[in-house]
Amino acid sequence: MSLLRLEKATIRFGGLVAVNEVSFEIAPGELFGLIGPNGAGKTTCFNLITGMYRPTGGRILFKDRDISGLPVAQIVRLGISRTFQNIRLFGSLTALDNVVVAAHLHRRANLIDALLGDPRSQADTERLRGEAMRYLSALDLQDVASARASDLPYGKQRRLEIARALATQPDLLLLDEPAAGMNPAEKEDLAGVVRRLRSEFGKTILLIEHDMRFVMGLCERIVVLDHGEKISEGPPDHVRNDPKVIEAYLGEAV
Amino acid sequence: MALRVRIASILAGMAGCWLLDVLCRGMLRESEQRLVVLAGLYVTLAVSLNLINGIAGQFSIGHAAFYQIGAYTAGYLAFFYYGKLPLQGVPWLIAMLFLGMGTAALAGLVVGLPSLRLRGDYLAIVTLGFGEIIRIVVQAIDLTAPTGEQVGGALGMNVEPRIRIVGLVWLFALTCIAVTRNLCKSSHGLALLSIREDEIASAAMGVQVPKMKVAAFMIGSAFAGGAGVLLAHSESFISPSMFPMDLSFIVLTMVVLGGSGSITGAVIAALTLFYVPEYLRGLKAPDGTALTATGANLVGWIVAVVAAVVVVRWLAFRFRGTARQRAMGYLATAVGLLVVGRALGWILSSVPALQQAEYEVQKLRMVIFAGSLIVIMLVRPEGVLGRHEFSWDWLARVLRRQRAREAAG
Repeated sequence: MSLLRLEKATIRFGGLVAVNEVSFEIAPGELFGLIGPNGAGKTTCFNLITGMYRPTGGRILFKDRDISGLPVAQIVRLGISRTFQNIRLFGSLTALDNVVVAAHLHRRANLIDALLGDPRSQADTERLRGEAMRYLSALDLQDVASARASDLPYGKQRRLEIARALATQPDLLLLDEPAAGMNPAEKEDLAGVVRRLRSEFGKTILLIEHDMRFVMGLCERIVVLDHGEKISEGPPDHVRNDPKVIEAYLGEAV
Repeated sequence: MALRVRIASILAGMAGCWLLDVLCRGMLRESEQRLVVLAGLYVTLAVSLNLINGIAGQFSIGHAAFYQIGAYTAGYLAFFYYGKLPLQGVPWLIAMLFLGMGTAALAGLVVGLPSLRLRGDYLAIVTLGFGEIIRIVVQAIDLTAPTGEQVGGALGMNVEPRIRIVGLVWLFALTCIAVTRNLCKSSHGLALLSIREDEIASAAMGVQVPKMKVAAFMIGSAFAGGAGVLLAHSESFISPSMFPMDLSFIVLTMVVLGGSGSITGAVIAALTLFYVPEYLRGLKAPDGTALTATGANLVGWIVAVVAAVVVVRWLAFRFRGTARQRAMGYLATAVGLLVVGRALGWILSSVPALQQAEYEVQKLRMVIFAGSLIVIMLVRPEGVLGRHEFSWDWLARVLRRQRAREAAG
C-alpha cells in the first residue's frame, strides 16, 4: 500500500508545462528524495501535493483518496504538512506561538468558547502550548521559545519551520530544501534530525534537496525531475549512475 | 480558580460602569455626559476595527458603514415599532443592541467575502466603496410613514425615545475589549494573527483562512453596529452626515496611532484623539475670552516642534548609547522644546508682520490635531504601544523591579 501516489500529475501555466505527467509512489515510513536542477518543477510538485495549485491533469492520491484540488487547509487535516524553501514563518510571533498556530489544528474549543474566554478554551490553549513546547524541544529550540521568529538565526528558523510542520501531526512531511544555505556541519546535524523525524515520530518524509551528497546519504529512494518530467527513479546508487541524470544534472560535477 | 477570577473581573467591570454612570450623572452637565458617551463609542469602534485591521490584518477603511447600519437599524425599528411592542426603555435598547449587532454582522459577512479574494490596497478600496454605498443608499431612502411623515433621507430622522446611559455604553465598550482580549489569548487569536503574518503559510498549517477572516469581519462589524444603536438612542437623532468617510479614517487613525494590533493602544488612542479636539475647542484664556496666539508665537512653536522631532528621531533610530543616555536625551529635548519655542516666539515678535497677526487657538484646533498625528507617526512609526498590551502581570513585573531597585539602591 502506498501513502502517497502521483498518477500522471500535470500542471500547465498557459503554454508552460511545469510538471508533466509525473508519477511516483511513496510507501509509509519511507525517506524519499525529490531532486533535479533549478526550475525542474520540484517545488511545483510540492504545491500540487499540498493543494496550493490544482493539477490540470492526472491524480494525486493520499491514503488511496483523491486529494487533487482540495483546499490547502483540508489537505493538512488529512495528514500532509510542509516547510517552505523561502522560510515563511510568522515573523512577529514568538517561536512558540508559531508552533501553537500549527497545533491549533487539533484544538477542541471552538471560536465561541474563545470569544467568551471560556475556561475550556483557556485549558485547550494551554494544552496546545504544552504540545508546541514538546515539538520545540524535539528540535532543540526550547531555549528560544519566547523569541520572535524573525529574530532567530537562519539555521534555527529552518528548524522552527520543521517544528511547526510537525505540530500539525502529519503522516507525510514535505521538506522543501531544508538544508539550503547551511554549512556542512549544520547539514550533518539536520540529516540527524530528519532521520529522527522518522525513527522517533514515525513520519514518512519527502524532501527536496539540491545538495547531492546530502540526498544520496539520507534518502532511500529518489525521483529525478528535469523540465517538469520524471527522468529517473530508484535507490541512490541507481540514480547516481543513470546516464540521463548525469546528463541533465550531474553532467559537470561527475 | 480561573472561573473565580473571571466572575470577579466581570463583576468589577459592571460595578465600574455603574460607578461611572452614577458619577457622570451626579457631576457632569448633560453636554459633558454626551462626550463621555461618545468617547465610549469611539473606544468600541477603535477596538473593533483593531480586530479586523490590526489583528486579522485585513485592511478595512469602511468602518463607519457598520456603525451607520447599527444606528439606522435602531432608528427605523424605533420609528415603526416602538410602543407597539411590550418592550420599553432599557430592555428595548438592549434588544435593539442585539439586532443592530446582527444586521451589522451580516453586512460584515458581505464585506468579508471579497476579503477572501483581495488583499491590502485592493481590499481597502472595496471597503471604502462599501462604506460610501451604505451612506448614499441610506441618504436616498425616503420612507413615508402611514401618518404621512417623512422618515430618513438626507435630513436624517429622530429616534425616540432618547436613552442615554453612560454606564451601558461603557459596559458595551468593555465587553468589546474583553471579547477581543479573550480571542487574542486563545489559539484562535493566534490563528488570526498568523493570517496577518503570512496567509499562505497560515493555510499550510491548517488554519481555515476564509472562515477566520470572515469571522473577524463579522465580530468587528457587530460591535461597530452595536455602537451605532447606542449612538442613535443617545443622540435621539441620526443622519447620513453623521457617518462621513472621515469617521472611518479617524477610527483607522486611532488603530494605527495606538499601535496596530494592540487593544490597549486602540483604547488610549481613541480616548486621546477624541478628547484632544474637544479640549482645544473649550480652551479659553484665563479672563474668559478666546485664547489667541500671535504669528510670532506660532512660528516659534512650529520650528521648535520640527527641530524636536528631528532630534527625537535621531535619538530613537541612530543614537548608539545606553538606554539611560537616551532617556536623558529625550528629557533634554523636551526641555529644549519649551525653551526654544518660547525664545523663538519672543525673538520673532520683533517682526511687526508676525506680531500683528493674531489667531484664535480654537479655530486652529484641527490643524494642531493633524500636526500632532504627523509628529507621533514620525517619532513612533509602530504606534504608541506598538504591539504591546497592558496586563496585570506586566504591571506586577514593573512594580517588582521598581521595588528591587529601591532595595538595592
